[in-house]
Order: sequence, then C-alpha cells, then structure tokens
Amino acid sequence: MSDDSVPLALPFLRFAARSSEVTVLYRELRKPLLRYLVCLGLSSDEAQDVVQDSFVSLQHHLAAGGTQDNIRGWLFRVAHNQARNRQTSYHRRFGEPLDSEMDFIAAGATPEKAVLEKEKFRRLRSAIGLLAESERECLLLRAEGLRYREIGDVLGLATSTVADTIDRAIKKLAEKCNV
Amino acid sequence: MCDFQPKLVAWLDHELPEDQAAEVERHVQACEECRAERENYEQVSGTIDAYCDAVMAAKTHRSTLRWVPAMSGALLAIAASVLFLTPQRHRIEPRPVITPAATAAPVQFLAAESVAHKKIHRRRAVLPVQGPSQQPAAKWQPAETAVQITIPAETMFAPGAIPEGMNFVAELSIGPDGSVERLRLRP
Repeated sequence: MSDDSVPLALPFLRFAARSSEVTVLYRELRKPLLRYLVCLGLSSDEAQDVVQDSFVSLQHHLAAGGTQDNIRGWLFRVAHNQARNRQTSYHRRFGEPLDSEMDFIAAGATPEKAVLEKEKFRRLRSAIGLLAESERECLLLRAEGLRYREIGDVLGLATSTVADTIDRAIKKLAEKCNV
Repeated sequence: MCDFQPKLVAWLDHELPEDQAAEVERHVQACEECRAERENYEQVSGTIDAYCDAVMAAKTHRSTLRWVPAMSGALLAIAASVLFLTPQRHRIEPRPVITPAATAAPVQFLAAESVAHKKIHRRRAVLPVQGPSQQPAAKWQPAETAVQITIPAETMFAPGAIPEGMNFVAELSIGPDGSVERLRLRP
C-alpha cells in the first residue's frame, strides 16, 4: 500500500467501523425503542419508521464524529423527539379502548387467569392515563431499562427531578392499582 | 410513614450511592412497613413491564393482521392476471387415417389449402387411381373417418359470440366410389 492511499482509506475504514457499531446497537436497542414508542401511543408502523429514522440519524452522527457518550440516551432522545412530532393525537391514542389487545393478551391463559390479567391491565391502564405526561414518559423509559441520568438526557430533566418523578409515579400507581 | 420510604424506589432501581443503598438495605430488613412497600413497588414495576410487552405484542399482531386481506387480494389479482394473459393453446390432434391393409394403397395427404379469408386447414385423402390390375374399388372400406377439417370457430361466428380459441372439426367418411358418405361436425 502506498503512502498516499492511507488518507483515502481511512475515512472508509472509519465509516465501516461506525457501520458495524450501529449494527450492534441496532440489534440491542431496536426492540426497547419500538416498545417505548408503541407504549407512548404510536402505531406499530409509525414506531418502526421512527426507529429506522433514528438509526439513520445515529449513523450520520457517528460518521460526523459526534460524541459517543450515552449513545442509548441519544438514540432514545432522537426517537422521542420524532415521536412527539408525529403525536398530534397522542392523548386520543392513549385513551383508545384496548379491548382487542386485552383479548390478545389473555389468549393463552386459563379463563380465570385471563379475567384477572385483563382486570389488572385495565386498572393499570386507567391509572397510567391519569399520570402527568412527564411521569408517564419517565416510567416508560424506566421500563426500557434506562438509568435516571439517561432518562434526564432524553427528557431534558435533571437526574434528581427524574428520581422524584419516578418515585411519585410509582406511588400513584401502587395506590390506584392496588396490585 | 417511614422516613426511608422516599428512597425505596431509587434503591430498588440501584440509583442510590453505595453508602445510602447499604443503609436502606439494612433498614428494609428490619422494617416490616418498608418491606411491604418494596414488594408493592416491585409488583407495580413487574406489571408495567408485562403491560408494555402485551401492548407491543398486540399492536404488532394487529399490524400484521391488517396486511392479510391486502396481501390475499394482491395474490388473487396476480393469479387472475396470469390466467387471462397466458395464451390458450388448443391443440387438435387429427385422427389417424387408417389405410386398409388389403389394398396396401398409400394414402397421400395434400398440402393444406388455405382459403382466402378463413383459416381452414384441410387435409384430403387421395384415393389410389384405379387401374386395370388393381382390386375393385368396392372392396376398399375405410374403417374410420378419412378426412378431418379443422375450422376455427371465430371464422364462423361474430367476435365474442363463442369462447376464444374454439374450433370445429368436420369429419368426412369417404365411400368406396370416392363420394362423401357421411359428414359430421363436432366442436
């Protein structure tokens, strides 16, 4: 390899390395991202679009030499912001009756267990619907395994605020659901 | 309410500094109220997780189901297109003309004649010319149809009146004297 071919090869090698990083991240984070977006109120198709767009943004971000600190938080923030842009009917969707989904949830259970499960999810759903938006978002991000610092990055909140919000939300749900 | 309860959720999420986490852990082991709260919070967290899984599964399932009628319709349309666009070929095999073995006279087929505006393929059996040394013509008895004429049906009927590609076959039995004994028309 001649000396002057090295500068030409470097960007390609860097790009390939970034691509493999993004592939690994995609395998690891695709499902949590999808679940978060779907629970936030997007349809399955919308959520898949947002996930794809987020990973394309990540590819550009890394190729441009962007920071690699807290990549998970970065990805969730991009996806969250894109979801917000699409969520003109967020509240309407979140309030949709989930009867068909409830049937699907209890499809494999015994009749008694199915009734209990449906009732439990119905109470939880109505309780989540009564939470403030930030409380709901904090809880859903926490359910995807994000740390308080990462949740703060996604939602633009201080870590202590995230801790207080989650504590408050969990206590509200425990009180209202009595599960 | 116990003083440690505001820290319980953060402790369960492993978000407390090590020294505080150790302190809360020691307290929870001794405090019945905090133990009950911990179980309660863990149950709520588990239910939220299960609920998120169920919503995800249900929405994905619903999205998949939505594509089923669309895909079925598309497949049916493709199948119908293939069926109608494929050229239909009706191959009509002419019946073999059986030559009487006794006469051993070769039956010759003339080249198909073409009628000006009709696609009629005609094959005609030519009887042997009778000579003085040959057997009398009365002994020549064709066992089966000697001549078949295939007539495309569209040349006989107005377009659209009959299915495309349909043909009629005229069968002629030739008598011993060379005249047509029988004419049968079949589709």
